[in-house]
Amino acid sequence: MGHGHHIEIKQESFTIPAKGKQFAIILMVVGLILTGIGIATIDKSGKSGHNATTTEATHGKDNHGNGHEAPASHAEGHDNHLTANPPAHTVEHVEEHGNVDTEKFGPRMEYKEENKPWMTKIWANLLVAGYFFTMVSLCALFWYAVQYAANAGWSVAIKRVPEAMYTFIPIAFGVLMIAVLLGKNDIYHWVHYEHLHLKPGQPGYDPILAGKSGFLNTGLLFGLPIVLVTVWVLIGRKLRKLSLQEDNATKGDTFFFKKSMRFSAAFLVVFGFTISIVAWLFIMSVDAHWYSTIFGVYNFATSWVSSIAFIALFVTYLRSQGYLGLVTQEHMHDLGKFMFAFTVFWAYIWLFQYLLIWYAAIPEEMMYYQIRFEDYKYNFLGNFVVNFVLPFAFLLMRSAKRNPKIMVAIACIMVMGHYYDVWFMVFPGVFGLNQQIGLLELGIFMLFVGLFVYWVLNQLTKRGLVAINHPFLEESVYHDVGV
Amino acid sequence: MGILDKNLSLRNRNKILVGVWEDEDALIHAAEVLVHKGINIHDIYTPYPVHGLDRIIGVKRSRLARVAFLCGTTGLILMISMIYYMYVVDWPINVGNKPVRFTPSWIPVMFEGTVLCTAFGMGFFFFWRNRLLHGVKNDLLDDRQTDDRMIVAIETTESMNQSEVIEMMKSNGAVETREYVNGVQTVI
Repeated sequence: MGHGHHIEIKQESFTIPAKGKQFAIILMVVGLILTGIGIATIDKSGKSGHNATTTEATHGKDNHGNGHEAPASHAEGHDNHLTANPPAHTVEHVEEHGNVDTEKFGPRMEYKEENKPWMTKIWANLLVAGYFFTMVSLCALFWYAVQYAANAGWSVAIKRVPEAMYTFIPIAFGVLMIAVLLGKNDIYHWVHYEHLHLKPGQPGYDPILAGKSGFLNTGLLFGLPIVLVTVWVLIGRKLRKLSLQEDNATKGDTFFFKKSMRFSAAFLVVFGFTISIVAWLFIMSVDAHWYSTIFGVYNFATSWVSSIAFIALFVTYLRSQGYLGLVTQEHMHDLGKFMFAFTVFWAYIWLFQYLLIWYAAIPEEMMYYQIRFEDYKYNFLGNFVVNFVLPFAFLLMRSAKRNPKIMVAIACIMVMGHYYDVWFMVFPGVFGLNQQIGLLELGIFMLFVGLFVYWVLNQLTKRGLVAINHPFLEESVYHDVGV
Repeated sequence: MGILDKNLSLRNRNKILVGVWEDEDALIHAAEVLVHKGINIHDIYTPYPVHGLDRIIGVKRSRLARVAFLCGTTGLILMISMIYYMYVVDWPINVGNKPVRFTPSWIPVMFEGTVLCTAFGMGFFFFWRNRLLHGVKNDLLDDRQTDDRMIVAIETTESMNQSEVIEMMKSNGAVETREYVNGVQTVI
């Protein structure tokens, strides 16, 4: 629509401003220093926290064990456990009904000191960072594919940003795999259990872990993600290549657009079927006895909303530096709506994972929330406040979505909040009680954000910032959400 | 029409000059020219949203969002009081020994009630404000304004040079111009 003032469309080439580079490097250096201090201050006496050992009375007296330690000491632990205090809600039932068989109620949590090598903390943190940034970069690719599949026009002006973001997948995934390789025995107790090669009837034999061994085994833990990430990266590279070819093609040629659309649709199918698998393998298996059918969706919600927040941050930064001249407040408003909408989506999934488990109160499902709700109450509820209440309240107003300062503040809160969300999925499962965010967590987060920012800005320099021959570019340029 | 807002009606007004456009770009340009000349456009009727037009003719921001917020809040309060009365006051039920007061199981009801009231409330108030409630009479300036034509309506004032306005519309792409007085249209 050539109304009013005609907007001139021209290619832009990006060079990282000195301050941007400085910012990324300072983040990385400070992150490294904090990580160093964090590592130096870990208690290396051999006891890095308490561990939650869960046993389910319904499994029979001798048939338990989760592989943290030798079977012999397990049996002892079990005896103690039968006399241990049952959790609060069980007490209630007993008091109310008197004759209720306590064995029917839930897994009883027994927290005890457990020897975990102090390095586990580093590996677990790297697991969180690697996983979070793999998923964030992957969701940038998802964002890109959704725009093609939905025939969206408004987003063409900012499409180089997610395009640059998903090139970070191999780096983040590499870190993730290193963390898993080095820390697998201590992060995943089922890996430890696998090495024991226990047969049914042997002390310490765990029917649940044995039943899951078809999926939870070391071969699959390494093989499957590598295959999946290879597929994602190949499709991503193909899409990026098509986008570059389109830039060099003639104006009005829709060949590359149509081809991108087909690859995007294919990617969406692959993504939909595979993202849950990665969430199960790396994060859900931390609590290997537990499962939640919505877990993959929950992880997707977390990483998708952080990915959108990162896109908003990069676009705002580029605009503040005088780039992306075609992007207006209207595009920012739409990004704000995206952030708002998927904040609500995240809260929806967050609640319903909890709600169904709370309602059904099946022992093997309760354990995950029992430790998180009873021993990490403030973290658990704080997670909800930071990731839902704050963004919801601030982004509700139209004027807030059109105000870059508020958008940046909320996007930063969301990124940190969702990183914390992933951390909170992992740490209570690995270390049990008394885990809190410390300098190590902060340092590794800053290190990765700095690396990510630097990487993405660097990728943005490699091609023009405007998809100059995209058939919907003009629609995007004159995008208007109305009064 | 009782509660309906009479200000939106085209009847009982001064003479209205009607211009018909078939091309949205030309329409936008014409609207800019007319506004620039200080002519007060009463309204523009288009079969689909034409981006940018609302800003040009100075449409005020819709209050529908605030209505939505109020409806949602109403729905939320309504649902909380409903569950509280039914489930706590009147007939508490023991479901798996869960407490009855303010538990997570209330949230789906609260959520759905909020959404329901927001959606129906917005729909109702939207139709009310646009006087499209049941029993509305056909008040189209052109039968094809819901199909492929865009209609500009300008209410005349005493100081307005009508022939100049009509000339301006014609020279800016109007395919037809008419005048409208209380439901009767004549081509001019």
